[in-house]
Amino acid sequence: MDDPYVTLGLAKTATAEEIKKAYRKLIKASHPDLNPDDAGAEARFKAISAAHDLLKDSATRARFDAGEIDATGAERPDRRYYRDYAEAPGNAYQRGGGFEAAGDPADIFAEMLRQRGRSGARGYGSPYGDEGFSAAGQDFHYTLEVPFLDAVRGAKTRITLPEGGDLEVQIPTGSSDGRTLRLRGKGGAGLGGGHAGDAYVTLTVRPHRLFRREGDDVLIELPITLDEAVLGGKVAVPTIDGAVNLSIPKGVSSGRVLRLRGRGVKRPGAEAGDQLVELRIVLPPTVDEKLSDFLQDWRKTNRHDPRKDMFEGVAT
Amino acid sequence: MTDFLSELETLDAIPRLTQFRLTAFIEARIVVPLRADTGPVFRRIDLARIELLCDLAEEFELDEDALSVVMSLLDQLHTVRRDLRAIAAAVAAESPEVRARIGAALLDEG
Repeated sequence: MDDPYVTLGLAKTATAEEIKKAYRKLIKASHPDLNPDDAGAEARFKAISAAHDLLKDSATRARFDAGEIDATGAERPDRRYYRDYAEAPGNAYQRGGGFEAAGDPADIFAEMLRQRGRSGARGYGSPYGDEGFSAAGQDFHYTLEVPFLDAVRGAKTRITLPEGGDLEVQIPTGSSDGRTLRLRGKGGAGLGGGHAGDAYVTLTVRPHRLFRREGDDVLIELPITLDEAVLGGKVAVPTIDGAVNLSIPKGVSSGRVLRLRGRGVKRPGAEAGDQLVELRIVLPPTVDEKLSDFLQDWRKTNRHDPRKDMFEGVAT
Repeated sequence: MTDFLSELETLDAIPRLTQFRLTAFIEARIVVPLRADTGPVFRRIDLARIELLCDLAEEFELDEDALSVVMSLLDQLHTVRRDLRAIAAAVAAESPEVRARIGAALLDEG
């Protein structure tokens, strides 16, 4: 690292007040969150902060001046900046909910202007100011834990509000973990005729005992018997919409994945996902004599080695 | 699964954040944690926001009212940036003729 005095543009004789002043001036121009478009801001901010960390404390500064510690002594751990999150979808601090479903560009601009109108007065839009005549209500934020099936199939549910009362929430079909729903006008009441605020509900999806989700596909493991594996057959499989008959081909092994087309998550406007069924052969709890006798016999004439390829290139 | 931190975990994650200061941020509604059955929970974005607030509070000696104004402006800036980016992406998907026309119109504006 560079000399902290050089980084802050100071002489070795700088006073504590001068250090503070220099630091303040530099971070104004280099704090990544105050300069979101400046790609070099983070590196500069780190260097400036490290230099300041070293010099702001008179004891540490004295040790540095005496050569007891070097300039790297003040490295900071990596940190994520607010600007990294600020434009992400679902950022609850954003003003206005972005573009709603509207195909016509004219509608989009009308929506932008509508949001600007509702977020406050005369285009300055700050509910913190003293506009005095009307202000939109406060936005509320909630979390909601949703059972897996309610999230994939969609459901109506109610959340109990900490301030009393409850709120009906329509969970859209195919909602995934972390999705934030916006309930327009369900936030705090507006002032002086202003719009009510919105309620934002972030979903956490509770895992299911049987089903897992990968994109719009639903994964499930299906135990089958030895005879089903050898002879094939039809077995009932649970899907997110109820039991479905699945044909097991003859002679399948554990790990074979069968696809039930269109039985996955059906998000509106997207092609339905599939259900993927991974087979797992399960032996009966007790292997009877008849079965073991048969296999003893069978083994004599059948020498199939599924591990044959495993030892290629491996010392045995 | 989504990452949510409790109030205690948040205080742990940001050593310079005091309980007093966090309460003040929440009361001023500059930080808006989610409400869970167990009390407030903080997302990664809240933590990054709190770090920034600590910077501003410490280095510029801003109080909650001043922080409110700064954050309100910053939030509006980010919203506009996001909207602008969406429009830029929509324009980029248009044919060269349409893009040229929009480009010419923007030059006229400037």
